[in-house]
Amino acid sequence: MVMKKFINNPENVVSELLEGYVLAYPNKVKLAGDNLVVRAVPKAWGKVGIVTLGGSGHEPGLSGFVGEGMLDVSVPGEIFAAPGPPRCLEAIKIADRGAGVLFIVLNHAGDVLTANLTMQMAQKEGLNVKMILTHEDISSGPREKPEERRGLVGFLPVYKVSGAAAEQGLTLEEVLKIADRMERNMRTLAVAVKTATHPSTGEAIFTLGDDEMEIGMGQHGEAGTGRMKLKTANETAEIMLQQLLEDLEVKEGEELLVILNGAGATTLMELFIIFRHMYQVAAGKKIKIVKSLIGEYITTQEQAGFQMFIARMDRELLRLWDAPCDTPYLVVR
Amino acid sequence: MVQMIRGAIDQVKNRHKLLSELDSAVGDGDHGTTMLRAMKNVEKLIGEINKDDLKNLLHSVGWTFLGVDGGATGPLLGVLFMGMSEYFVEKQTLDCKDLAAMFEQGLAAIQKQTKAKKGDKTMLDALIPAVEALNRASSQKKTILEALHGAAEAAETGAISTKNMKAGFGRAKNLGDRALGCQDPGAKSISLIFEGFYQGIQSIGT
Repeated sequence: MVMKKFINNPENVVSELLEGYVLAYPNKVKLAGDNLVVRAVPKAWGKVGIVTLGGSGHEPGLSGFVGEGMLDVSVPGEIFAAPGPPRCLEAIKIADRGAGVLFIVLNHAGDVLTANLTMQMAQKEGLNVKMILTHEDISSGPREKPEERRGLVGFLPVYKVSGAAAEQGLTLEEVLKIADRMERNMRTLAVAVKTATHPSTGEAIFTLGDDEMEIGMGQHGEAGTGRMKLKTANETAEIMLQQLLEDLEVKEGEELLVILNGAGATTLMELFIIFRHMYQVAAGKKIKIVKSLIGEYITTQEQAGFQMFIARMDRELLRLWDAPCDTPYLVVR
Repeated sequence: MVQMIRGAIDQVKNRHKLLSELDSAVGDGDHGTTMLRAMKNVEKLIGEINKDDLKNLLHSVGWTFLGVDGGATGPLLGVLFMGMSEYFVEKQTLDCKDLAAMFEQGLAAIQKQTKAKKGDKTMLDALIPAVEALNRASSQKKTILEALHGAAEAAETGAISTKNMKAGFGRAKNLGDRALGCQDPGAKSISLIFEGFYQGIQSIGT
C-alpha cells in the first residue's frame, strides 16, 4: 500500500500537527510546558483537574477533548507511542487547581508503564492525584481479566462524565467514583477492513485480504484474531452488538449510550447504516438506545473500519453526559 | 562505562532498520526509529555530561530514555539505567562483580514495573540471560571483557529464542499464534545494546 499523506518531514509530524491544532482553536486550547495541550482558559480554582496521555496519530483523540467540561491537560506522545513520565508529571502539576487531579489512562502497554512511573514520581512529591485505567475492549482479553483488555473509544464518555463532575465541584474521590462506574459499565468492539500506513515509516501497518474483515482490530492496526470474509452491514452490526450486549450483560429495559467511531477511512454513510440495524436489534430485545454519537473520535490514520461502543447509563451518568462542554471536537450546550 | 554506552549507541545506529522490520511483523513498525531517536538523545547527553560521576551519568541516561516519548521502550530502558545508577559505588573503577551487581539492580528495577517473566516474549528474554551470564562470569573471576562477551552472546541467544514464544505483553499479545516465528524487537534491542557494550570495551584495548 502506497502512503499518500499531506505531511512534510516525517520527523516533525507531531510538533507540526500540534502547532496547527492550537492555531485553529485558540479560544479553547493552547500549548504549554513541553508540548502539552491545555485549556486556553484554565479551570476555576478549587475544582478537580482531569489529565490524560496517549500517542499521536489518532486525531482528534485524545487532545481534541481538552476544554471546559472535559480535559484540562492532554499529554501527546509520538505517533502511536505513549509519552514519557516527565511530561505527564508536568501535566499533573499544571492541571492541579487545588482539589487534586484525576489521571485517566487507556490500557496499552506503553501508556500504563509511563502512567505507573508517573504515579510513583507524583507520590514521592506528595501530589494529590488518582489514576483510573480504561479497559473496555472485549476482544483483547476475557471478562474475568479486565487488566488484559485495551482502552479504546470508551475514553470519551469517561472524560465527559469526569469533566462534568469536576466542573460541578465534586471532590476527587467523588469524581473517581463516577469515572469508575462509567468505566465498569462500558464495552467496545472494533472491526477493520483496510490497513493504514504509519506516517513516520510509510509502511502499511498490517495486511488484510481484499474480501476480508477482522473483528477485534487493534487501535494501531496491529492484527487481532477474528479474521473472516466481509459481511453486510446488518450481519456485521448484529454479530458485534450481540457480543457486546452479552459481555455487558445488558437486560431488557436498560438504557444505552452508543458510540460508533470511524477508524479514519470509513464513511458516515456506512456508520449510519450500521446504526440503523443496531437500533433494530436493540429494539427487538427491548433495550433502549437513549444517547448516540457517530463520527471520528479516535482514528488510526486511513484505516477503514470502526469501533462499536455501548454503555449502560443511569440517571446520574445521563445527567453528566448531557452537561455542557466546549472542546474542539465535542460541544454540548 | 562511557565507551560501553557509545558502543551501544553505534550498534543501534547501524541496525535500527532491523528493529523496525521486526516490529512491523508484530507491532506498528516503529521500534527502530524509537531506539535511534533515544540513542541520539543519549549520545548528545554523554557529549555534554560530566563523565566522572558514574551514578549521575547512569541516572541521566535513564532519565533521557524516559523522555523519549517512545511508548513502552522509554520507560523500560529508562528504569533499567536508573536502576543501575542505584548501585551505589564509591570506587573509581568497576570490576566484574560490580558490573554484574549493577545490571542485577537495573533488572530488579524493571521487574518492579512489570509482571512479565522469562518466556513472555519481551526484552526480559534477552536481559535476564545477559545478567545471569554476568553473574556466572563474576563468580568465575573472568575479566570484564570476557563477561560482556558472554552477556552479549546470552542476550542474542535469548532474543532469537523469542521466535517461538507467544507474546504475553505489548501489542504482539493481540496476535496470538501469529506472533510465532518472529523475534521480539525489544529483546533484539537488548541484544544489540549488550553487543555494543562489548564492542565498546573491546575498542579500548585496540
